[in-house]
Amino acid sequence: MREVWIAGAGITRIGRRGESLSDLMAEAAHAALRDAGLERPDAIVAAAMNPEEFVGDGNFASHVATHMGLAETPAMRIETATSSGAAALYAGFAQVAAGLRHRVLVVGGEKMTHLDTPRVSELIGRSIDPYERSYGATMPALAGLVARALIARNGDAPREMAQIAVKNHANALRNPYAHFHRSVTIDEVMDSRMVADPLRLLHCCPISDGAAAVVLTAERAAVRITGIGQGTDTLALRHRDALTSFRASRAAARAAFAMADFGPERVDVAELHDAFAPFELISLEDLGLVPSGKAGRATLDGETALDGRLPVNPSGGLKARGHPLAATGLAQIVECVWQLTGRAEGRQVPARVALAQSIGGLATNNWVTLLEAS
Amino acid sequence: MRIETIQGSRCPACGLTVAPPAPFCPRDPVAMTSVELEGAGEIVSFTTLHSPPAGFRSPLHLALVALPGGARFICHGAETRGLRIGSRVAIEAVNDVYYFSHLGALDRARLFWRRTGRAGDRVHAIARSLAKRAWKGRERVSS
Repeated sequence: MREVWIAGAGITRIGRRGESLSDLMAEAAHAALRDAGLERPDAIVAAAMNPEEFVGDGNFASHVATHMGLAETPAMRIETATSSGAAALYAGFAQVAAGLRHRVLVVGGEKMTHLDTPRVSELIGRSIDPYERSYGATMPALAGLVARALIARNGDAPREMAQIAVKNHANALRNPYAHFHRSVTIDEVMDSRMVADPLRLLHCCPISDGAAAVVLTAERAAVRITGIGQGTDTLALRHRDALTSFRASRAAARAAFAMADFGPERVDVAELHDAFAPFELISLEDLGLVPSGKAGRATLDGETALDGRLPVNPSGGLKARGHPLAATGLAQIVECVWQLTGRAEGRQVPARVALAQSIGGLATNNWVTLLEAS
Repeated sequence: MRIETIQGSRCPACGLTVAPPAPFCPRDPVAMTSVELEGAGEIVSFTTLHSPPAGFRSPLHLALVALPGGARFICHGAETRGLRIGSRVAIEAVNDVYYFSHLGALDRARLFWRRTGRAGDRVHAIARSLAKRAWKGRERVSS
């Protein structure tokens, strides 16, 4: 297997954007190509979770390749629900590692804010088991079930969950690309509107537009992908026996660390999939970044803050950077690359090894990627 | 009180039981066999949606219930007052939609007698149940 390096990274400002999805993806892609000093890649891997329904465009790999002026570059689209960006990274990684391609552009994006919240919730909800959906289950509903189980296990979880939101909003204040630039307090989070009891509005990520891209290459560059792992689980939540730990995350981490040949103790900074605040607590433990049962304590003690032992979601995370679905897995990688190369202005942490974790659906198709500065 | 029978499936390979029935086990590529499950169990978790999807009335109460035999079942409820993880609930079908309802002490006692069958077994089951209760204390269903 050839070594795979990241030669360039680009992202759009995340938030409510007036541009089309293909405009946003072109903006991120061109920024990544510019950063890599590359005019044309050998291939493109594109990720969008549901452009057919969000924006009405199909044949999307060709659509977006043509739009960005690369109609003659072979392109394909990858989809694993909300982790599609991370899955696209894997597809690009595999092409370079196998020696099939030399330089691959990986770009992900989503455009959602032009639709009203119930419609967005319905479209995201398509990734839920149909029977559970027939009972009105939405992503927040299933996350509400998870959150209540977490609180039953640990009475302090409401404060810990609120602190995740507080921390990630504080980090996003320092990220010019983030959706939100406002701080929140623990009390504001705990008094915000109830969405899916015990989950409140400020525990949930926003609806965002945006895109992110990286250029992968077989030539030595500043950051190397040292491990990528995928983990999966049943579509239906009722078919699992655990609610407060995700098999898909544990399996993805195991595979990624095995490929990298090191353990979680080497991770200096992490971007985790905090679509709902309790997910950051669960993921910290699933990935082995903190001992089982200790994520809440570590969060309240500031261990995962920007100046802590292991900064988590320096970008602001899905919670505050925003969550344009298929862009997110790559937005995490862009942040990790910037952290590893000293380009995370205003929120730079000392780091040689970074971890990105992306959750697809209600933790049915998850990815863990490990990056190392050369 | 009538206890509903819920159709389910069991995996001959790993023993996973699911409801409603499924042709294949989600974890093994084998055909499942039909089982009937008693529509009463313990709350695994529950939530209330305050802006439910179109077609559902707000607030929408949803619960995940562990049925005897291991299957977990998703259902609606009329209310969640006094409900906790570990609470005993009965499941009832109304127009093919399943609802949970909190079981009172009398309902639980009736269910208990019905299930334990012969007199000797009853004494044994009562002793076992008391011992289990004392042992578990306030501990709830693990998840």
